[in-house]
Amino acid sequence: MSATAQTRRTYRAPGQLGGRPRGRGGPRPARLALAFLLPALLILAAFVFWPVISALRLSFTDSSGFGAEHFVGLANYVEIFTTPRILRTLGVTTMYAAMFTPLTIAAALALALLLNRRTLWGRGFFRTAFFLPFIISMAVAAFAWEFLLDPQIGLLNYWLQSIGIHLGNVLQDPNLALPTVVLVAVWKSFGFYMVIFIAGLQDIPGELYEAATIDGANAWQRFTNVTLPQLSTTLAFVAIFALIAAFQAFDQIYVLTGGGPYRSTQTVVMEIYQEGFKKLDIGLASALSYVLLVITLVLSLIQFRFFNRREEAIAG
Amino acid sequence: MKKVIASVAALTGAALVLAGCSSGGDGAASSSDASGSASGPVTLEFWHGYTEADGKVLDQIVADFNASQSDITINDTTKTWADIGDQLLTALSAKQGPDLVALPAENLPIYASKGAFAPLDDWYSSSEAAASLNQNAVSMEKINGSYAGVPWGFVPLSVIYNKALFDQAGITEFPTTWDEWVATAKKLTIDQNGDGTPEQYGLVLPDHATVGNGVWASLFYEGGGEIVDKDGNAVVNSAANVKTLTYWADAVMKDKISPTGVDGVGADKLFTAGTVAMEVGGPWMASVAEGANIDYGLAQIPAGPAGPASSAIGISVAVTNQADDAKKAAAEKFFDYFYSQEVATKWSLGSGWPPLRTDIPASAVSSNPVVAALTPMAGTARPLLPGIANSVDVLAAVDEATQKALAGGDPTSLLDAANSAVSDALAP
Repeated sequence: MSATAQTRRTYRAPGQLGGRPRGRGGPRPARLALAFLLPALLILAAFVFWPVISALRLSFTDSSGFGAEHFVGLANYVEIFTTPRILRTLGVTTMYAAMFTPLTIAAALALALLLNRRTLWGRGFFRTAFFLPFIISMAVAAFAWEFLLDPQIGLLNYWLQSIGIHLGNVLQDPNLALPTVVLVAVWKSFGFYMVIFIAGLQDIPGELYEAATIDGANAWQRFTNVTLPQLSTTLAFVAIFALIAAFQAFDQIYVLTGGGPYRSTQTVVMEIYQEGFKKLDIGLASALSYVLLVITLVLSLIQFRFFNRREEAIAG
Repeated sequence: MKKVIASVAALTGAALVLAGCSSGGDGAASSSDASGSASGPVTLEFWHGYTEADGKVLDQIVADFNASQSDITINDTTKTWADIGDQLLTALSAKQGPDLVALPAENLPIYASKGAFAPLDDWYSSSEAAASLNQNAVSMEKINGSYAGVPWGFVPLSVIYNKALFDQAGITEFPTTWDEWVATAKKLTIDQNGDGTPEQYGLVLPDHATVGNGVWASLFYEGGGEIVDKDGNAVVNSAANVKTLTYWADAVMKDKISPTGVDGVGADKLFTAGTVAMEVGGPWMASVAEGANIDYGLAQIPAGPAGPASSAIGISVAVTNQADDAKKAAAEKFFDYFYSQEVATKWSLGSGWPPLRTDIPASAVSSNPVVAALTPMAGTARPLLPGIANSVDVLAAVDEATQKALAGGDPTSLLDAANSAVSDALAP
């Protein structure tokens, strides 16, 4: 055995600065990590994993939430895919997501670009003002909008009438109710995504814009060739989260339209609520929850792949 | 990958352990409850949704009952009706629910059909008070041949009208038939600026989510139709109902006697704002009108071709399956107390709802003008969809038809579609 080999065997890496020296009696890092994670894991297990597992079991039963329950196999899933009334809620939810997701992204990105300008006066005030709706509960926001949109006493109708626009009862109009509840949700949530976009924009190196400007790129070209590619990861995050939020739409619909008129705003989550809490069919509600979970998961995966490929293409 | 599998296994194990800790099994009351009831006073938890002056009267009735004996204590908790609807399922699932619960009568069959409530057939067969109750009210408690609750309130929908607007239009008599009603509403509809949108309407006829879901049911009854027949079949698209819907759609669309796209809550707001002269409403509208300084009158819904009728707003009280035999027996003693002549009269006067006993003379409740006005109408009141478990889908189908008809749709095809949906909802 050479002296070099002996040196290598006895070498120990120095302890981390400020960290605890590794001794024989001290806890192993994995155990330490587990000890830190355990409280959170237990909470997750009790309030997330267990309900998720329970809901899967319930989806194969005729449970009402109390009393006897019986195994019904795939009957609940069959009912979902053979009942036009329930299938329509999937269509309504898709329409909602198709409006909500691009509108939210567009509004958030446009305002983020505007409020990222250092020369803008009152930038901090506007950022706070636009973010404010996000911290309000959706139910509270919906009640406020209900008053604003009221055809008899609503301020919005009153203001618009003064300039010759008769809005009418938009929440009871089968063509306008869904876009209206979408707009309320966009108003409520774009501030959150705007802040994320601002963080993404601030990560883009200024040299890239300088180089693009020197190359003669105009504002639009700088946006499409520098900003958008550099924001692709942020954009992916926002798109996926906005889509998931869209598929979970409930609060403002419950308050503003209750799913009407003619079930034109009856989303899947509204249907889950109605089946579970109004008709006491917990089995069917659980099965519908799982259908929603799978749809959301598949759409998120598609988006992931799309944005990954896009990122690879940009990098390549 | 192994680590991932190990993590999932560990979490599943933790979840199962937690579940094991929390699960209480499917038995009825816990052993401590049962032993408590055998050895000492029985305590009953009672949820109700009487939040106004009626709630205070009910609180007093409960307090008086508690003071009248030492074997039973009732703890009553006031929640909104909406909260009871949202919390009852989860509370019963967790076996933390009430022993007694008051709920809108149309919700009773939903819970009863799932086994949430104890049958009360023994009380109906043994109690002297049960025989004296309004049998229309009692009929809303029977689900699949068994009594699942007792009536706590049964009030016919009626018309509340603004006397000042009637005086301004020179109308001295309240209409008694549909034709007179529409003619009166036309007189009271005023389009001051001639823009085609009246500033004042004679009537507000909500087209969906009406008060107690009963406005259209009342009109269908008066037209000679109904939603579900005695045998439990869908009959929404009967010729009588088509005629009724056509009649009222014409009155709203052509004569413009009512704003469109309004629900029950919206109708209440319009009446309170003084922009409509008449509304079909519940008894609480009397105090709401008083609060808005509106001089009001109450009248029976004018008679249709088949005579006067109205859908009733019903409240039921049920004993949940959480209650053991001792608690159920205690609840039945409370019912006997509640339905004694003295307490039933007190409850009627305090709640503003007609007496539940038919042997209470009109003179006994004449001190409350609302009760005095509503009591004679109670005889023509019919319960809404008694015994129908899936009332949610039945009412949604009717709502869709009426809403579309008042927006210009064809009543015949709309009621055909509604009938099909109601048939589906009634299918076992």
